[in-house]
Amino acid sequence: MKRIFRVTIERCIACGKCELACAFAHGSEGKPSKTRINIFRRGPELGTPVVCFQCDDAACAAICPTQALVRNEATGAIEMIRERCIGCRLCVAACPFGNMLWDEAYHCVQKCDLCGGDPKCVPFCPTHALEYVPADEAALKPEPLVWEETARTGR
Amino acid sequence: MITLTINGKTVRAREGSPLLEAIRAAGVEIPTLCHHEALEPWGGCRLCLVDVTRPEWKGWAKMVVSCMYPAEEGLIVQTHTERVVETRKVVLDLLLARCPETPLIQKLAREHGIEKSSYPPNPEPTDCILCGLCTRVCDHIGVFAISSVNRGAGREIAPPFHEAPPDCIGCLACAEVCPTSCIPYETSDAKRTIWNKTFEMVRCPTCGKAHITTAQAGFYAGRNGVPRSYFETCDACKRREMAHTFSKLSAGAGGVR
Repeated sequence: MKRIFRVTIERCIACGKCELACAFAHGSEGKPSKTRINIFRRGPELGTPVVCFQCDDAACAAICPTQALVRNEATGAIEMIRERCIGCRLCVAACPFGNMLWDEAYHCVQKCDLCGGDPKCVPFCPTHALEYVPADEAALKPEPLVWEETARTGR
Repeated sequence: MITLTINGKTVRAREGSPLLEAIRAAGVEIPTLCHHEALEPWGGCRLCLVDVTRPEWKGWAKMVVSCMYPAEEGLIVQTHTERVVETRKVVLDLLLARCPETPLIQKLAREHGIEKSSYPPNPEPTDCILCGLCTRVCDHIGVFAISSVNRGAGREIAPPFHEAPPDCIGCLACAEVCPTSCIPYETSDAKRTIWNKTFEMVRCPTCGKAHITTAQAGFYAGRNGVPRSYFETCDACKRREMAHTFSKLSAGAGGVR
């Protein structure tokens, strides 16, 4: 079963652990500011993690002049083939969600490849805001966690 | 799938695929300079030379460039025979004479045991090795702004008449694929200059950051049937917009502030 991200933004505390995990996993100089998953910080301890959707009809793959962005049928991720990238940055401009990132240090684009089917950011999320679930479960509201239940009932 | 022998090891490969692919898949390292996965093989640098033979050829072998030679059933490939290594050395020796100050060539030559070129050094040292990657990538995109001009010793890569190329869209692909990084360019959020042509950038209306030129946006807007404004907003601002949308959607369901 194909798995996708489920992001429950009500749970995100903007701690940045997913960004750190991504930075270390993919070696974009290990900088949290240069990661494939980005938290948009709405306020103290309020965040919205933003990560590639692996679109079905992806603009990045459609515009790439060298077919460097190819879907991995096993994981469902669109992967960037480094050897084919010519650094024209069109995918960066074309992605309607801003999830293609230009890496000035390596002179290539960075994009989420779901870490080959085992996203490193997910286990680091302390509040389960980020989950990696089968595609048909992703639209369901997640089961409340213990602390959410406590907050709701006051017990 | 077909079976062939590479350095005594039996490997399987797609029929007709370049020999270089099978050689690299077998874990054998051979140097290349003009090869790029995104482009058609060209056979220009002559570094990927290998010896190929067949049992029925009775010991006769021919030297071919592996990036262009198709994989065939029963082929016996030797990647490091004496004459192959010797020929590679001659090529690198000549390249080192042409480009004595280029780190990539110096490194490759040193790996092949050449510290100093045995040919007279080039009076005008250059970094361009004439691998043709820049012109081929430009043709591949469909822009055809630069090409190789003149012949023999005078051959070089240039835009038509050495003037700012009218067709260039400033995508920097030529500069990015260049193995020796010898195509100069300058780029900022305001403008980009390459091949003596200056381009306006498509700037994000919110933060002013730019990734592509207006010429690039025009070229791809026409080709992909989207308005030019499609390319305007920068990635960071698009992410912020998306985050806002998500927050609003959740807020609508009574979720977040």
